[in-house]
Amino acid sequence: MTSITVSPAIRRWRIALVVVGLALLALGGVVLLNDVNPKRYLGIAAWFLGALIIHDGIISFGVFGVNIAMRKAGRRVPLPVLLILQGAAVVGALMALLVVPEIMKKSIGTGNATLLPLDYAANLGWFYVVLAAVTAVVIAVYLAAARARARRASRAASSPAA
Amino acid sequence: MILDTVQNLLNGLRRSLAQPSRTPRMAVVIGRLLAIAFLLCFGTGIYSHFLQDPLPWMVFTTRPVFLYQLTQGIHITAGILCFPLLFAKLYIVFPELFQTPSVKSFPHLLERASIALFVASSIVQIVIGLLNTYQWYALFPFPFRQTHYALSFVIIGSLAIHIAVKLDVIAKHWRKRDSAALAEPVEAPQREGASASTGSAGESRRNPLTSSPVKNAVDRVEGVTGRVFAWIDKTPPAEPRTSRRGFLTVVGVASAAVVALTAGQSFRVLDGSNVFGPRKQGVGPNALPVNRTAKAAKVGAKAMAADWALTVTNGTTSKSYSRSELQAMPQFVVELPIACVEGWSQTATWKGVRVGDLVDSVGASGGISVRATSLEENSSYAVMRMGPEYVRDNLTLVALELNGEPLDLDHGFPARMIAPGRPGVLQTKWLSTLEVLS
Repeated sequence: MTSITVSPAIRRWRIALVVVGLALLALGGVVLLNDVNPKRYLGIAAWFLGALIIHDGIISFGVFGVNIAMRKAGRRVPLPVLLILQGAAVVGALMALLVVPEIMKKSIGTGNATLLPLDYAANLGWFYVVLAAVTAVVIAVYLAAARARARRASRAASSPAA
Repeated sequence: MILDTVQNLLNGLRRSLAQPSRTPRMAVVIGRLLAIAFLLCFGTGIYSHFLQDPLPWMVFTTRPVFLYQLTQGIHITAGILCFPLLFAKLYIVFPELFQTPSVKSFPHLLERASIALFVASSIVQIVIGLLNTYQWYALFPFPFRQTHYALSFVIIGSLAIHIAVKLDVIAKHWRKRDSAALAEPVEAPQREGASASTGSAGESRRNPLTSSPVKNAVDRVEGVTGRVFAWIDKTPPAEPRTSRRGFLTVVGVASAAVVALTAGQSFRVLDGSNVFGPRKQGVGPNALPVNRTAKAAKVGAKAMAADWALTVTNGTTSKSYSRSELQAMPQFVVELPIACVEGWSQTATWKGVRVGDLVDSVGASGGISVRATSLEENSSYAVMRMGPEYVRDNLTLVALELNGEPLDLDHGFPARMIAPGRPGVLQTKWLSTLEVLS
Protein backbone atom coordinates (compact mmCIF):
# COMPACT_ATOMS: atom_id res chain seq x y z
CA MET A 1 0.00 0.00 0.00
CA THR A 2 1.09 3.56 -0.58
CA SER A 3 0.97 4.65 3.02
CA ILE A 4 0.98 2.79 6.28
CA THR A 5 -0.42 5.52 8.56
CA VAL A 6 -3.88 6.19 7.22
CA SER A 7 -7.10 7.23 8.89
CA PRO A 8 -9.59 4.54 9.94
CA ALA A 9 -12.06 5.87 7.37
CA ILE A 10 -9.57 5.42 4.55
CA ARG A 11 -8.68 1.99 5.87
CA ARG A 12 -12.34 0.95 5.82
CA TRP A 13 -12.88 2.30 2.30
CA ARG A 14 -9.72 0.56 1.20
CA ILE A 15 -10.90 -2.80 2.47
CA ALA A 16 -14.32 -2.33 0.87
CA LEU A 17 -12.83 -1.30 -2.46
CA VAL A 18 -10.36 -4.20 -2.48
CA VAL A 19 -13.16 -6.66 -1.69
CA VAL A 20 -15.35 -5.21 -4.48
CA GLY A 21 -12.36 -5.14 -6.83
CA LEU A 22 -11.41 -8.75 -6.17
CA ALA A 23 -15.04 -9.86 -6.54
CA LEU A 24 -15.31 -8.13 -9.92
CA LEU A 25 -11.98 -9.59 -11.05
CA ALA A 26 -13.23 -13.02 -10.08
CA LEU A 27 -16.49 -12.38 -11.93
CA GLY A 28 -14.51 -11.30 -15.01
CA GLY A 29 -12.54 -14.54 -14.74
CA VAL A 30 -15.71 -16.62 -14.45
CA VAL A 31 -17.26 -14.87 -17.47
CA LEU A 32 -14.06 -15.51 -19.42
CA LEU A 33 -14.07 -19.17 -18.44
CA ASN A 34 -17.75 -19.61 -19.30
CA ASP A 35 -18.06 -17.53 -22.45
CA VAL A 36 -14.69 -17.68 -24.19
CA ASN A 37 -13.13 -20.82 -25.58
CA PRO A 38 -9.81 -21.53 -23.76
CA LYS A 39 -8.16 -21.77 -27.19
CA ARG A 40 -8.63 -17.98 -27.41
CA TYR A 41 -6.87 -17.14 -24.13
CA LEU A 42 -3.46 -17.03 -25.79
CA GLY A 43 -4.77 -14.45 -28.27
CA ILE A 44 -6.12 -12.28 -25.43
CA ALA A 45 -2.81 -12.58 -23.54
CA ALA A 46 -0.92 -11.61 -26.70
CA TRP A 47 -3.08 -8.49 -27.05
CA PHE A 48 -2.46 -7.59 -23.39
CA LEU A 49 1.29 -7.97 -23.80
CA GLY A 50 1.23 -6.12 -27.10
CA ALA A 51 -0.71 -3.24 -25.51
CA LEU A 52 1.88 -2.85 -22.75
CA ILE A 53 4.82 -3.09 -25.13
CA ILE A 54 3.36 -0.69 -27.68
CA HIS A 55 2.31 1.86 -25.05
CA ASP A 56 5.03 1.69 -22.42
CA GLY A 57 7.87 0.65 -24.68
CA ILE A 58 7.22 2.60 -27.86
CA ILE A 59 4.60 5.37 -27.65
CA SER A 60 5.65 6.73 -24.24
CA PHE A 61 9.34 6.91 -25.12
CA GLY A 62 8.45 8.35 -28.52
CA VAL A 63 6.46 11.13 -26.83
CA PHE A 64 9.34 11.70 -24.38
CA GLY A 65 11.84 11.88 -27.23
CA VAL A 66 9.70 14.31 -29.25
CA ASN A 67 9.20 16.48 -26.17
CA ILE A 68 12.95 16.67 -25.44
CA ALA A 69 13.83 17.15 -29.12
CA MET A 70 11.33 19.99 -29.51
CA ARG A 71 12.60 21.76 -26.41
CA LYS A 72 16.19 21.27 -27.57
CA ALA A 73 15.45 22.49 -31.06
CA GLY A 74 13.42 25.40 -29.80
CA ARG A 75 15.83 27.03 -27.38
CA ARG A 76 15.01 30.46 -28.76
CA VAL A 77 11.30 29.76 -29.13
CA PRO A 78 9.12 30.83 -26.19
CA LEU A 79 7.93 27.87 -24.16
CA PRO A 80 4.21 28.61 -24.67
CA VAL A 81 4.74 28.51 -28.44
CA LEU A 82 6.45 25.13 -28.07
CA LEU A 83 3.59 23.92 -25.91
CA ILE A 84 1.04 25.04 -28.51
CA LEU A 85 2.99 23.16 -31.19
CA GLN A 86 3.29 20.08 -28.97
CA GLY A 87 -0.40 20.25 -28.19
CA ALA A 88 -1.27 20.40 -31.88
CA ALA A 89 1.03 17.43 -32.53
CA VAL A 90 -0.67 15.45 -29.76
CA VAL A 91 -4.17 16.21 -31.07
CA GLY A 92 -3.07 15.33 -34.61
CA ALA A 93 -1.46 12.05 -33.50
CA LEU A 94 -4.49 11.07 -31.44
CA MET A 95 -6.83 11.68 -34.34
CA ALA A 96 -4.56 9.61 -36.60
CA LEU A 97 -4.72 6.80 -34.06
CA LEU A 98 -8.51 6.75 -34.33
CA VAL A 99 -8.92 7.44 -38.03
CA VAL A 100 -6.05 5.57 -39.74
CA PRO A 101 -7.51 2.14 -38.83
CA GLU A 102 -10.81 3.41 -40.26
CA ILE A 103 -9.07 4.35 -43.53
CA MET A 104 -7.34 0.96 -43.64
CA LYS A 105 -10.55 -0.97 -43.00
CA LYS A 106 -12.38 1.03 -45.65
CA SER A 107 -9.66 0.23 -48.17
CA ILE A 108 -9.88 -3.49 -47.32
CA GLY A 109 -13.64 -3.37 -47.84
CA THR A 110 -16.66 -3.47 -45.57
CA GLY A 111 -19.22 -5.46 -47.50
CA ASN A 112 -21.80 -2.83 -46.58
CA ALA A 113 -21.85 0.58 -48.22
CA THR A 114 -23.34 2.24 -45.13
CA LEU A 115 -20.43 1.18 -42.92
CA LEU A 116 -17.53 3.64 -43.19
CA PRO A 117 -19.32 5.64 -45.89
CA LEU A 118 -17.18 8.79 -45.71
CA ASP A 119 -13.87 9.69 -47.33
CA TYR A 120 -11.90 9.47 -44.10
CA ALA A 121 -8.47 10.05 -45.69
CA ALA A 122 -9.62 13.32 -47.23
CA ASN A 123 -11.38 14.31 -44.02
CA LEU A 124 -8.22 13.63 -42.02
CA GLY A 125 -6.27 15.76 -44.49
CA TRP A 126 -8.76 18.62 -44.04
CA PHE A 127 -8.61 18.14 -40.29
CA TYR A 128 -4.84 18.65 -40.40
CA VAL A 129 -5.23 21.75 -42.55
CA VAL A 130 -7.68 23.22 -40.03
CA LEU A 131 -5.48 22.12 -37.11
CA ALA A 132 -2.44 23.81 -38.69
CA ALA A 133 -4.42 27.00 -39.33
CA VAL A 134 -5.85 27.10 -35.81
CA THR A 135 -2.39 26.44 -34.36
CA ALA A 136 -0.91 29.27 -36.41
CA VAL A 137 -3.66 31.65 -35.30
CA VAL A 138 -3.22 30.69 -31.63
CA ILE A 139 0.55 31.21 -31.86
CA ALA A 140 0.06 34.58 -33.61
CA VAL A 141 -2.42 35.70 -30.94
CA TYR A 142 -0.06 34.58 -28.19
CA LEU A 143 2.94 36.37 -29.71
CA ALA A 144 0.91 39.57 -30.24
CA ALA A 145 -0.30 39.44 -26.63
CA ALA A 146 3.24 38.77 -25.37
CA ARG A 147 4.60 41.74 -27.36
CA ALA A 148 1.85 43.99 -26.01
CA ARG A 149 2.65 42.82 -22.48
CA ALA A 150 6.36 43.49 -23.01
CA ARG A 151 5.64 47.00 -24.34
CA ARG A 152 3.42 47.82 -21.36
CA ALA A 153 6.07 46.49 -19.00
CA SER A 154 8.84 48.51 -20.64
CA ARG A 155 6.69 51.70 -20.60
CA ALA A 156 5.91 51.14 -16.93
CA ALA A 157 9.60 50.63 -16.17
CA SER A 158 10.70 53.76 -18.07
CA SER A 159 8.07 56.12 -16.63
CA PRO A 160 9.19 57.92 -13.41
CA ALA A 161 7.58 56.81 -10.20
CA ALA A 162 4.82 59.07 -8.95
CA MET B 1 27.15 -3.44 -8.73
CA ILE B 2 24.77 -4.32 -11.56
CA LEU B 3 21.83 -3.64 -9.25
CA ASP B 4 23.31 -0.24 -8.40
CA THR B 5 23.67 0.58 -12.08
CA VAL B 6 20.12 -0.54 -12.88
CA GLN B 7 18.77 1.40 -9.91
CA ASN B 8 20.64 4.52 -10.98
CA LEU B 9 19.42 4.07 -14.51
CA LEU B 10 15.83 3.82 -13.31
CA ASN B 11 16.32 6.83 -11.03
CA GLY B 12 17.77 8.76 -13.93
CA LEU B 13 14.85 7.82 -16.15
CA ARG B 14 12.31 8.87 -13.55
CA ARG B 15 14.01 12.18 -13.04
CA SER B 16 14.42 12.85 -16.74
CA LEU B 17 10.76 12.05 -17.28
CA ALA B 18 9.76 14.57 -14.61
CA GLN B 19 7.41 17.22 -15.94
CA PRO B 20 5.36 19.85 -14.16
CA SER B 21 2.25 18.14 -15.51
CA ARG B 22 3.28 14.83 -13.95
CA THR B 23 2.00 15.49 -10.43
CA PRO B 24 -0.28 13.55 -8.07
CA ARG B 25 -2.85 16.37 -8.34
CA MET B 26 -2.92 16.08 -12.12
CA ALA B 27 -3.21 12.29 -11.83
CA VAL B 28 -6.25 12.80 -9.59
CA VAL B 29 -7.83 15.40 -11.91
CA ILE B 30 -7.49 13.26 -15.04
CA GLY B 31 -8.05 10.03 -13.12
CA ARG B 32 -11.45 11.26 -11.91
CA LEU B 33 -12.57 12.02 -15.46
CA LEU B 34 -11.28 8.68 -16.72
CA ALA B 35 -13.00 6.82 -13.89
CA ILE B 36 -16.29 8.57 -14.76
CA ALA B 37 -15.84 7.60 -18.43
CA PHE B 38 -15.06 3.99 -17.46
CA LEU B 39 -18.07 3.79 -15.17
CA LEU B 40 -20.35 5.28 -17.84
CA CYS B 41 -19.08 2.69 -20.32
CA PHE B 42 -19.52 -0.08 -17.76
CA GLY B 43 -23.04 0.92 -16.69
CA THR B 44 -24.32 1.43 -20.23
CA GLY B 45 -22.53 -1.72 -21.40
CA ILE B 46 -24.14 -3.84 -18.68
CA TYR B 47 -27.54 -2.36 -19.58
CA SER B 48 -26.99 -3.28 -23.23
CA HIS B 49 -25.84 -6.77 -22.26
CA PHE B 50 -28.92 -7.50 -20.18
CA LEU B 51 -31.24 -6.09 -22.81
CA GLN B 52 -29.82 -8.74 -25.13
CA ASP B 53 -29.45 -11.54 -22.56
CA PRO B 54 -31.95 -10.74 -19.80
CA LEU B 55 -32.18 -12.73 -16.61
CA PRO B 56 -35.63 -14.38 -16.27
CA TRP B 57 -36.98 -11.82 -13.80
CA MET B 58 -35.87 -8.76 -15.72
CA VAL B 59 -38.40 -6.24 -17.06
CA PHE B 60 -37.28 -3.18 -18.99
CA THR B 61 -38.74 0.24 -19.42
CA THR B 62 -39.91 1.18 -22.90
CA ARG B 63 -39.89 4.92 -22.20
CA PRO B 64 -38.34 7.19 -23.10
CA VAL B 65 -38.21 5.59 -26.54
CA PHE B 66 -34.71 7.01 -27.07
CA LEU B 67 -33.36 5.41 -23.88
CA TYR B 68 -31.18 2.80 -25.59
CA GLN B 69 -30.18 5.28 -28.26
CA LEU B 70 -28.97 7.50 -25.44
CA THR B 71 -27.26 4.83 -23.33
CA GLN B 72 -25.46 3.18 -26.21
CA GLY B 73 -24.54 6.54 -27.71
CA ILE B 74 -23.01 7.43 -24.34
CA HIS B 75 -21.28 4.02 -24.25
CA ILE B 76 -19.53 4.56 -27.56
CA THR B 77 -18.85 8.27 -27.12
CA ALA B 78 -17.44 7.78 -23.60
CA GLY B 79 -15.37 4.91 -25.00
CA ILE B 80 -13.88 7.21 -27.64
CA LEU B 81 -13.33 9.84 -24.96
CA CYS B 82 -11.30 7.28 -23.02
CA PHE B 83 -8.56 7.51 -25.67
CA PRO B 84 -7.37 11.04 -24.80
CA LEU B 85 -8.12 10.56 -21.09
CA LEU B 86 -6.38 7.21 -20.75
CA PHE B 87 -3.31 8.35 -22.65
CA ALA B 88 -3.20 11.53 -20.55
CA LYS B 89 -3.40 9.51 -17.33
CA LEU B 90 -0.72 7.11 -18.50
CA TYR B 91 1.45 10.06 -19.53
CA ILE B 92 1.18 11.55 -16.05
CA VAL B 93 2.14 8.37 -14.21
CA PHE B 94 4.67 7.05 -16.74
CA PRO B 95 7.72 7.78 -14.48
CA GLU B 96 6.22 5.40 -11.91
CA LEU B 97 7.07 2.58 -14.30
CA PHE B 98 10.71 3.10 -13.34
CA GLN B 99 10.28 3.28 -9.58
CA THR B 100 13.05 1.76 -7.51
CA PRO B 101 13.30 -0.70 -6.01
CA SER B 102 11.10 -2.25 -8.66
CA VAL B 103 9.51 -4.56 -6.11
CA LYS B 104 9.64 -3.67 -2.42
CA SER B 105 7.45 -6.40 -1.00
CA PHE B 106 4.86 -9.00 -1.93
CA PRO B 107 1.94 -6.52 -1.57
CA HIS B 108 3.91 -4.09 -3.74
CA LEU B 109 4.36 -6.82 -6.36
CA LEU B 110 0.59 -7.45 -6.31
CA GLU B 111 -0.05 -3.72 -6.61
CA ARG B 112 2.22 -3.41 -9.64
CA ALA B 113 0.74 -6.55 -11.20
CA SER B 114 -2.78 -5.17 -10.71
CA ILE B 115 -1.75 -1.92 -12.38
CA ALA B 116 -0.21 -3.82 -15.31
CA LEU B 117 -3.49 -5.75 -15.65
CA PHE B 118 -5.49 -2.52 -15.36
CA VAL B 119 -3.45 -0.70 -18.00
CA ALA B 120 -3.33 -3.63 -20.43
CA SER B 121 -7.03 -4.46 -20.13
CA SER B 122 -8.01 -0.79 -20.46
CA ILE B 123 -5.99 -0.30 -23.64
CA VAL B 124 -7.22 -3.56 -25.15
CA GLN B 125 -10.82 -2.77 -24.20
CA ILE B 126 -11.00 0.64 -25.85
CA VAL B 127 -9.03 -0.49 -28.92
CA ILE B 128 -11.24 -3.54 -29.60
CA GLY B 129 -14.30 -1.40 -28.88
CA LEU B 130 -13.19 1.09 -31.52
CA LEU B 131 -12.31 -1.63 -34.04
CA ASN B 132 -15.70 -3.23 -33.43
CA THR B 133 -17.39 -0.05 -34.62
CA TYR B 134 -15.40 -0.51 -37.85
CA GLN B 135 -16.43 -4.22 -37.84
CA TRP B 136 -12.76 -5.17 -38.21
CA TYR B 137 -13.13 -8.53 -36.50
CA ALA B 138 -10.36 -10.22 -38.45
CA LEU B 139 -7.86 -8.51 -36.15
CA PHE B 140 -9.16 -10.27 -33.03
CA PRO B 141 -7.94 -13.77 -32.23
CA PHE B 142 -10.89 -13.94 -29.80
CA PRO B 143 -14.66 -13.31 -29.89
CA PHE B 144 -15.38 -9.61 -29.48
CA ARG B 145 -18.58 -9.50 -27.49
CA GLN B 146 -17.69 -12.11 -24.88
CA THR B 147 -14.17 -10.75 -24.38
CA HIS B 148 -15.40 -7.15 -24.17
CA TYR B 149 -17.94 -8.22 -21.54
CA ALA B 150 -15.42 -10.18 -19.43
CA LEU B 151 -12.85 -7.38 -19.62
CA SER B 152 -15.39 -4.85 -18.38
CA PHE B 153 -15.43 -6.60 -14.98
CA VAL B 154 -11.64 -6.92 -14.99
CA ILE B 155 -11.30 -3.18 -15.63
CA ILE B 156 -13.78 -2.01 -13.02
CA GLY B 157 -12.35 -4.52 -10.52
CA SER B 158 -8.82 -3.26 -11.21
CA LEU B 159 -10.10 0.31 -10.95
CA ALA B 160 -11.54 -0.38 -7.50
CA ILE B 161 -8.26 -1.92 -6.35
CA HIS B 162 -6.27 0.94 -7.87
CA ILE B 163 -8.43 3.51 -6.08
CA ALA B 164 -8.01 1.54 -2.84
CA VAL B 165 -4.23 1.53 -3.17
CA LYS B 166 -4.05 5.23 -4.01
CA LEU B 167 -6.85 6.34 -1.70
CA ASP B 168 -4.69 8.44 0.62
CA VAL B 169 -3.05 10.20 -2.34
CA ILE B 170 -6.46 10.75 -3.95
CA ALA B 171 -7.87 12.16 -0.69
CA LYS B 172 -4.91 14.52 -0.27
CA HIS B 173 -5.11 15.85 -3.82
CA TRP B 174 -8.86 15.73 -4.37
CA ARG B 175 -9.26 19.46 -3.88
CA LYS B 176 -6.95 21.97 -5.50
CA ARG B 177 -6.57 23.97 -2.30
CA ASP B 178 -5.51 20.95 -0.22
CA SER B 179 -3.25 19.73 -2.98
CA ALA B 180 -1.52 23.10 -3.30
CA ALA B 181 -0.97 23.25 0.47
CA LEU B 182 0.69 19.85 0.33
CA ALA B 183 2.86 20.62 -2.66
CA GLU B 184 6.52 20.48 -1.93
CA PRO B 185 8.40 23.66 -2.81
CA VAL B 186 9.57 22.41 -6.12
CA GLU B 187 10.39 24.60 -9.04
CA ALA B 188 11.16 23.44 -12.52
CA PRO B 189 13.54 20.49 -12.59
CA GLN B 190 16.90 21.41 -11.15
CA ARG B 191 18.76 21.44 -14.41
CA GLU B 192 21.59 23.57 -13.12
CA GLY B 193 22.53 20.96 -10.58
CA ALA B 194 22.61 18.33 -13.23
CA SER B 195 25.73 19.62 -14.87
CA ALA B 196 27.66 19.00 -11.69
CA SER B 197 25.88 15.84 -10.95
CA THR B 198 27.76 12.96 -12.41
CA GLY B 199 27.48 11.52 -8.95
CA SER B 200 28.39 8.06 -7.86
CA ALA B 201 26.05 5.31 -6.88
CA GLY B 202 26.88 6.11 -3.29
CA GLU B 203 25.45 9.60 -3.67
CA SER B 204 22.25 8.16 -5.03
CA ARG B 205 21.79 6.18 -1.87
CA ARG B 206 22.16 9.37 0.16
CA ASN B 207 19.45 11.00 -1.97
CA PRO B 208 16.53 8.57 -2.10
CA LEU B 209 13.69 9.37 -4.46
CA THR B 210 10.75 11.27 -3.03
CA SER B 211 7.12 10.86 -3.97
CA SER B 212 7.54 13.71 -6.43
CA PRO B 213 9.53 12.84 -9.51
CA VAL B 214 10.26 16.55 -9.97
CA LYS B 215 11.98 16.75 -6.61
CA ASN B 216 13.95 13.59 -6.96
CA ALA B 217 17.61 13.81 -6.24
CA VAL B 218 20.00 14.10 -9.11
CA ASP B 219 21.45 10.68 -9.66
CA ARG B 220 23.54 9.84 -12.60
CA VAL B 221 25.48 6.95 -13.98
CA GLU B 222 28.76 7.22 -15.75
CA GLY B 223 29.40 6.33 -19.37
CA VAL B 224 27.05 6.57 -22.31
CA THR B 225 23.89 6.63 -20.20
CA GLY B 226 25.41 9.36 -18.04
CA ARG B 227 26.07 11.47 -21.11
CA VAL B 228 22.55 10.85 -22.43
CA PHE B 229 21.07 12.00 -19.13
CA ALA B 230 23.38 15.02 -19.03
CA TRP B 231 22.23 15.90 -22.58
CA ILE B 232 18.60 15.59 -21.52
CA ASP B 233 19.29 17.67 -18.40
CA LYS B 234 20.51 20.56 -20.48
CA THR B 235 17.09 20.76 -22.13
CA PRO B 236 15.41 24.08 -21.40
CA PRO B 237 13.08 23.47 -18.46
CA ALA B 238 9.34 23.81 -18.71
CA GLU B 239 7.68 26.51 -16.63
CA PRO B 240 5.38 24.61 -14.25
CA ARG B 241 2.19 26.67 -14.38
CA THR B 242 2.24 27.22 -18.13
CA SER B 243 3.13 23.59 -18.65
CA ARG B 244 0.27 22.32 -16.45
CA ARG B 245 -2.27 24.64 -18.06
CA GLY B 246 -1.00 23.65 -21.48
CA PHE B 247 -1.36 19.98 -20.64
CA LEU B 248 -4.95 20.36 -19.44
CA THR B 249 -5.79 22.49 -22.47
CA VAL B 250 -4.44 19.82 -24.83
CA VAL B 251 -6.41 17.09 -23.06
CA GLY B 252 -9.53 19.27 -23.28
CA VAL B 253 -9.06 20.13 -26.95
CA ALA B 254 -8.28 16.52 -27.90
CA SER B 255 -11.33 15.26 -26.00
CA ALA B 256 -13.59 17.88 -27.56
CA ALA B 257 -12.24 17.08 -31.03
CA VAL B 258 -12.73 13.31 -30.86
CA VAL B 259 -16.26 13.72 -29.51
CA ALA B 260 -17.32 16.53 -31.86
CA LEU B 261 -16.03 14.75 -34.96
CA THR B 262 -17.48 11.29 -34.26
CA ALA B 263 -20.49 11.54 -31.93
CA GLY B 264 -22.81 12.66 -34.74
CA GLN B 265 -23.24 8.94 -35.53
CA SER B 266 -25.17 8.69 -32.24
CA PHE B 267 -26.42 12.21 -31.55
CA ARG B 268 -28.17 14.06 -34.34
CA VAL B 269 -27.20 17.47 -32.99
CA LEU B 270 -23.57 16.66 -33.90
CA ASP B 271 -24.35 15.17 -37.32
CA GLY B 272 -22.99 18.24 -39.11
CA SER B 273 -19.54 17.76 -37.60
CA ASN B 274 -19.50 13.99 -38.01
CA VAL B 275 -16.54 13.55 -40.34
CA PHE B 276 -14.89 10.56 -38.65
CA GLY B 277 -17.83 8.51 -37.35
CA PRO B 278 -18.10 5.06 -38.94
CA ARG B 279 -21.76 5.76 -39.73
CA LYS B 280 -23.50 8.79 -41.14
CA GLN B 281 -27.13 9.60 -40.46
CA GLY B 282 -29.30 9.41 -43.57
CA VAL B 283 -26.79 7.29 -45.52
CA GLY B 284 -28.26 3.98 -46.64
CA PRO B 285 -31.37 2.46 -48.21
CA ASN B 286 -34.55 4.11 -46.88
CA ALA B 287 -32.13 6.88 -45.76
CA LEU B 288 -30.94 4.72 -42.87
CA PRO B 289 -27.66 2.86 -42.27
CA VAL B 290 -27.63 -0.95 -42.34
CA ASN B 291 -25.81 -3.26 -39.97
CA ARG B 292 -26.30 -6.69 -41.56
CA THR B 293 -27.28 -6.90 -45.19
CA ALA B 294 -29.63 -9.45 -46.74
CA LYS B 295 -26.67 -10.79 -48.70
CA ALA B 296 -24.62 -11.31 -45.54
CA ALA B 297 -27.63 -12.98 -43.90
CA LYS B 298 -28.27 -15.08 -47.05
CA VAL B 299 -32.01 -14.39 -46.99
CA GLY B 300 -32.52 -12.70 -50.35
CA ALA B 301 -34.39 -15.51 -52.15
CA LYS B 302 -36.60 -16.46 -49.21
CA ALA B 303 -37.42 -12.85 -48.38
CA MET B 304 -38.39 -12.04 -51.97
CA ALA B 305 -40.39 -15.26 -52.47
CA ALA B 306 -43.98 -14.65 -53.61
CA ASP B 307 -45.34 -17.13 -51.06
CA TRP B 308 -43.71 -15.47 -48.08
CA ALA B 309 -46.01 -15.30 -45.08
CA LEU B 310 -45.67 -14.36 -41.43
CA THR B 311 -46.92 -17.19 -39.26
CA VAL B 312 -48.33 -16.24 -35.87
CA THR B 313 -48.99 -19.07 -33.41
CA ASN B 314 -50.45 -19.39 -29.96
CA GLY B 315 -50.41 -23.00 -28.84
CA THR B 316 -52.46 -24.90 -31.38
CA THR B 317 -53.89 -21.74 -32.97
CA SER B 318 -52.00 -20.49 -35.95
CA LYS B 319 -52.53 -17.90 -38.67
CA SER B 320 -50.45 -16.95 -41.67
CA TYR B 321 -50.37 -13.44 -43.09
CA SER B 322 -49.09 -12.51 -46.48
CA ARG B 323 -47.61 -9.03 -46.87
CA SER B 324 -50.80 -7.74 -48.49
CA GLU B 325 -52.88 -9.24 -45.67
CA LEU B 326 -50.67 -7.49 -43.16
CA GLN B 327 -51.13 -4.24 -45.11
CA ALA B 328 -54.90 -4.75 -44.93
CA MET B 329 -54.80 -4.75 -41.11
CA PRO B 330 -54.96 -1.46 -39.15
CA GLN B 331 -51.71 0.39 -39.86
CA PHE B 332 -49.89 2.57 -37.38
CA VAL B 333 -47.10 5.08 -37.91
CA VAL B 334 -44.49 5.53 -35.18
CA GLU B 335 -41.31 7.57 -34.81
CA LEU B 336 -38.72 5.32 -33.26
CA PRO B 337 -34.94 5.24 -33.29
CA ILE B 338 -33.01 2.27 -34.52
CA ALA B 339 -30.03 2.11 -32.20
CA CYS B 340 -27.21 -0.31 -32.94
CA VAL B 341 -25.02 -1.94 -30.30
CA GLU B 342 -22.11 -0.38 -32.20
CA GLY B 343 -23.36 3.01 -31.06
CA TRP B 344 -24.81 4.56 -34.19
CA SER B 345 -28.47 5.39 -34.16
CA GLN B 346 -31.09 7.26 -36.11
CA THR B 347 -34.71 8.08 -35.59
CA ALA B 348 -36.97 6.93 -38.42
CA THR B 349 -40.64 6.74 -39.36
CA TRP B 350 -42.04 3.21 -39.33
CA LYS B 351 -45.41 2.02 -40.54
CA GLY B 352 -46.95 -1.38 -39.92
CA VAL B 353 -49.13 -3.60 -37.74
CA ARG B 354 -49.12 -3.55 -33.97
CA VAL B 355 -47.61 -6.72 -32.54
CA GLY B 356 -50.36 -6.64 -29.93
CA ASP B 357 -53.01 -6.88 -32.67
CA LEU B 358 -51.23 -9.83 -34.28
CA VAL B 359 -50.97 -11.86 -31.09
CA ASP B 360 -54.57 -10.99 -30.21
CA SER B 361 -55.62 -12.42 -33.58
CA VAL B 362 -54.51 -15.86 -32.41
CA GLY B 363 -56.28 -15.57 -29.08
CA ALA B 364 -53.45 -14.30 -26.85
CA SER B 365 -54.45 -12.14 -23.93
CA GLY B 366 -52.77 -10.28 -21.12
CA GLY B 367 -49.05 -9.96 -20.58
CA ILE B 368 -47.41 -12.49 -22.83
CA SER B 369 -43.96 -12.91 -24.29
CA VAL B 370 -43.24 -13.58 -27.93
CA ARG B 371 -40.54 -15.48 -29.76
CA ALA B 372 -39.76 -14.00 -33.16
CA THR B 373 -37.84 -15.96 -35.75
CA SER B 374 -36.07 -14.57 -38.76
CA LEU B 375 -35.58 -16.12 -42.18
CA GLU B 376 -31.93 -15.67 -41.34
CA GLU B 377 -30.02 -18.81 -40.41
CA ASN B 378 -26.75 -19.39 -38.58
CA SER B 379 -27.04 -16.19 -36.57
CA SER B 380 -27.26 -15.81 -32.82
CA TYR B 381 -29.90 -13.16 -33.43
CA ALA B 382 -32.09 -15.26 -35.75
CA VAL B 383 -34.38 -16.01 -32.81
CA MET B 384 -35.43 -13.16 -30.54
CA ARG B 385 -37.49 -13.19 -27.39
CA MET B 386 -39.60 -10.17 -26.52
CA GLY B 387 -41.04 -9.56 -23.07
CA PRO B 388 -44.63 -8.40 -22.40
CA GLU B 389 -43.52 -4.81 -21.77
CA TYR B 390 -42.65 -4.61 -25.48
CA VAL B 391 -45.39 -6.90 -26.86
CA ARG B 392 -48.13 -4.83 -25.24
CA ASP B 393 -46.56 -1.46 -26.10
CA ASN B 394 -48.60 0.39 -28.75
CA LEU B 395 -45.38 1.53 -30.42
CA THR B 396 -44.15 -2.01 -31.08
CA LEU B 397 -44.83 -2.87 -34.71
CA VAL B 398 -44.24 -5.45 -37.33
CA ALA B 399 -43.01 -2.79 -39.73
CA LEU B 400 -43.72 -2.90 -43.44
CA GLU B 401 -42.61 0.60 -44.41
CA LEU B 402 -39.69 2.77 -43.44
CA ASN B 403 -39.44 6.52 -43.99
CA GLY B 404 -42.44 6.51 -46.32
CA GLU B 405 -41.26 3.68 -48.57
CA PRO B 406 -41.60 -0.10 -48.52
CA LEU B 407 -38.90 -1.68 -46.38
CA ASP B 408 -35.70 -2.17 -48.30
CA LEU B 409 -34.49 -5.76 -48.46
CA ASP B 410 -31.45 -4.79 -46.35
CA HIS B 411 -33.78 -3.31 -43.72
CA GLY B 412 -35.78 -6.51 -43.36
CA PHE B 413 -38.28 -6.74 -46.25
CA PRO B 414 -40.93 -8.08 -46.25
CA ALA B 415 -41.49 -7.41 -42.53
CA ARG B 416 -39.39 -6.62 -39.49
CA MET B 417 -39.77 -5.86 -35.83
CA ILE B 418 -39.45 -2.38 -34.37
CA ALA B 419 -39.90 -1.72 -30.64
CA PRO B 420 -39.04 1.20 -28.38
CA GLY B 421 -35.79 1.18 -26.40
CA ARG B 422 -34.24 -2.04 -27.71
CA PRO B 423 -30.85 -2.70 -29.37
CA GLY B 424 -30.90 -2.93 -33.16
CA VAL B 425 -29.89 -6.59 -33.10
CA LEU B 426 -33.21 -7.36 -31.38
CA GLN B 427 -35.25 -5.47 -34.00
CA THR B 428 -35.46 -8.73 -35.94
CA LYS B 429 -35.41 -8.40 -39.72
CA TRP B 430 -36.88 -10.72 -42.39
CA LEU B 431 -39.53 -12.03 -39.99
CA SER B 432 -40.75 -15.58 -40.47
CA THR B 433 -42.74 -16.49 -37.36
CA LEU B 434 -44.15 -14.97 -34.19
CA GLU B 435 -44.83 -17.45 -31.42
CA VAL B 436 -46.77 -16.59 -28.28
CA LEU B 437 -45.04 -17.98 -25.19
CA SER B 438 -47.02 -19.01 -22.19
